Amino acid sequence: MSPSRLLSILLILPALVVLLALFVYPLGFSVVSAFTDRSGAATLENFHTAFTTYRSDLIFTPAIVGLSSLLIAVLAIAIGGYLTLGENRAAVRILGAVYRWPLFIPFIVAAQCMRTFLGRNGMMNNSLMALGVLDPAQAQSFLDWRGIVITFVWKQAPFVTLMVAGAMASLDRSTIDAARNLGASRLRTLLEIVVPQVRDTLYVGLILSFVVMMSVLSVPAMIASDSPTMITRDMAWRIEQLGDYHTANALGFVSYLMTGLVAWFYLRATMRERAGR
Amino acid sequence: MSASLHIDRVEVAYGGVKVLKGVSLDVAPGEFVALLGSSGCGKTTLLRSISGFVPVSGGAIRVDGSDVTAVPPERRDMAMVFQSYALWPHMTAAQNIGYGLKLRRMARADIARRVDEILAMLKLDGLGERMVGQLSGGQRQRVALGRALAVNPRILLLDEPLSNLDARIREDVRHEIKALQKSLGITAIHVTHDREEAMVMADRIVILDAGTIAQQGPPEEIYNHPASPFVAAFLGAANAIRLVAKAEQGATHIEAGPFNGPARVRGAAALSGPVIAHFRSEAAELVEAAYVHDDDLVLRGTVRQVSYPGGFWRYAVAVGDRQFMVDDDRRREPGAAVGIRLPPDAIHLYPDRAS
Repeated sequence: MSPSRLLSILLILPALVVLLALFVYPLGFSVVSAFTDRSGAATLENFHTAFTTYRSDLIFTPAIVGLSSLLIAVLAIAIGGYLTLGENRAAVRILGAVYRWPLFIPFIVAAQCMRTFLGRNGMMNNSLMALGVLDPAQAQSFLDWRGIVITFVWKQAPFVTLMVAGAMASLDRSTIDAARNLGASRLRTLLEIVVPQVRDTLYVGLILSFVVMMSVLSVPAMIASDSPTMITRDMAWRIEQLGDYHTANALGFVSYLMTGLVAWFYLRATMRERAGR
Repeated sequence: MSASLHIDRVEVAYGGVKVLKGVSLDVAPGEFVALLGSSGCGKTTLLRSISGFVPVSGGAIRVDGSDVTAVPPERRDMAMVFQSYALWPHMTAAQNIGYGLKLRRMARADIARRVDEILAMLKLDGLGERMVGQLSGGQRQRVALGRALAVNPRILLLDEPLSNLDARIREDVRHEIKALQKSLGITAIHVTHDREEAMVMADRIVILDAGTIAQQGPPEEIYNHPASPFVAAFLGAANAIRLVAKAEQGATHIEAGPFNGPARVRGAAALSGPVIAHFRSEAAELVEAAYVHDDDLVLRGTVRQVSYPGGFWRYAVAVGDRQFMVDDDRRREPGAAVGIRLPPDAIHLYPDRAS
């Protein structure tokens, strides 16, 4: 083996060791643990427990995250679209500066903010009551699935917007002008000309967001700890209260399949598009 | 179908900088006008203010008499062909061409018929279902033109549409666009920095300089009678020499100088005092250094460089500390003492304001 070859292997070795030790090994360990019982024998019992005990949460989780992704997409397109097509320069500048703020706030802080904002006696209801819009008798807490969705959207929309707005800004501006020139309104230009051209970026942003939201524990734990809740909350419960790593790993394996499925759809779509070009 | 366009003292400023300083221009229905100028002269800004993409800070733009100055671009019923073509990469050629019709709520079958018509007219038959990324530069250019023509616009705006094409294709497309424009009778405004392109395509050329119109007229008129040293230089009479003149009996007499003999220039208004003479390299001729003629201006100099661009020789001739380009049929060697013979109609004379 030549010295330069040896050197290059040495250079990638630390990264490889970290990857194997901190990602591949624990992942493999979790998968194995999901399919074995306490004695180490192969079993599907953990999945049986997961699907019978947490059936509603296994439906609830992708539904919550899917709904959040959808709302995030709408917001990202709306904000990115205004930043690209907006004609009031001051408004564009202010929106461009403000929309990123939630990016710098950790989930746990975001969840805490939402608790004080969305609760029955939270800031939102108090403000609405002070404005006379809301009757105090009808005030209700949003600290359930709605709270989770609101927190996810608030926290993740800026991230997707950042990607989408960047892609929109780097479009050939004349493709936008050409549509306006032929008579397209700004909304049609956004939906028919701008969005199709940044679709790939939007998908990547949404998938990354989907994966992040699937793995967040603090938001469901702090905002909606009652059933139905998210898989992460159930995993934490299995481990903390019952020391049951096997069922927790089975739940983890299922959520891994969910994110894998989303990624697979995306990959298949891009492959098909590349083949078509 | 085609409309008249009236541009009335239009001003445009970017930040504090005035890019258009009160430009007025009338375009008749069916006329092909070229806006010609070097980069930064304001020609693209003028086109974009006509299309509505650049807000004007003063003046008015009228189409068929109705004021469109404050009308947003999507409601001006003009169609623009962009320098980058600006085709939508997520659509096929046919979808690109049909999009303007879809916006006009035309029935799907009618759109398909019209798109086929346009594809046939532009010799793009069979390419309608291709994505635009699969088309060649020339084909994309045609699709861009087809997209603009499909909607039967009142005014066609062309923003340097040929500058991304190969030289050979460009020559063909020039004639095709002009022929189409004439047969459809559309009013067209064409922006270009290419003098020959403007000359070949336009009925009228408008030369812009620093946000104002320097001169406008039919191609042969502005070519033969440039109104200012700027226009003369821009239209190819880039050779310039300072001389001293005297007006006598309605003619301009050029006084003999260190490098030139006396000469008499008729035709244009008689000038006196310091003048600047512009001439084209192809309008001049090389003669023997001793050549003398009453009417011709002869500049005496030395051949510095010879090249052969094809069909004739091109010489760089040093006259004093200046150097001029002259085209001639005969081969001469560098270092030869020669005279540059300029017949009266080859010289464009202007008062020399600098001295």
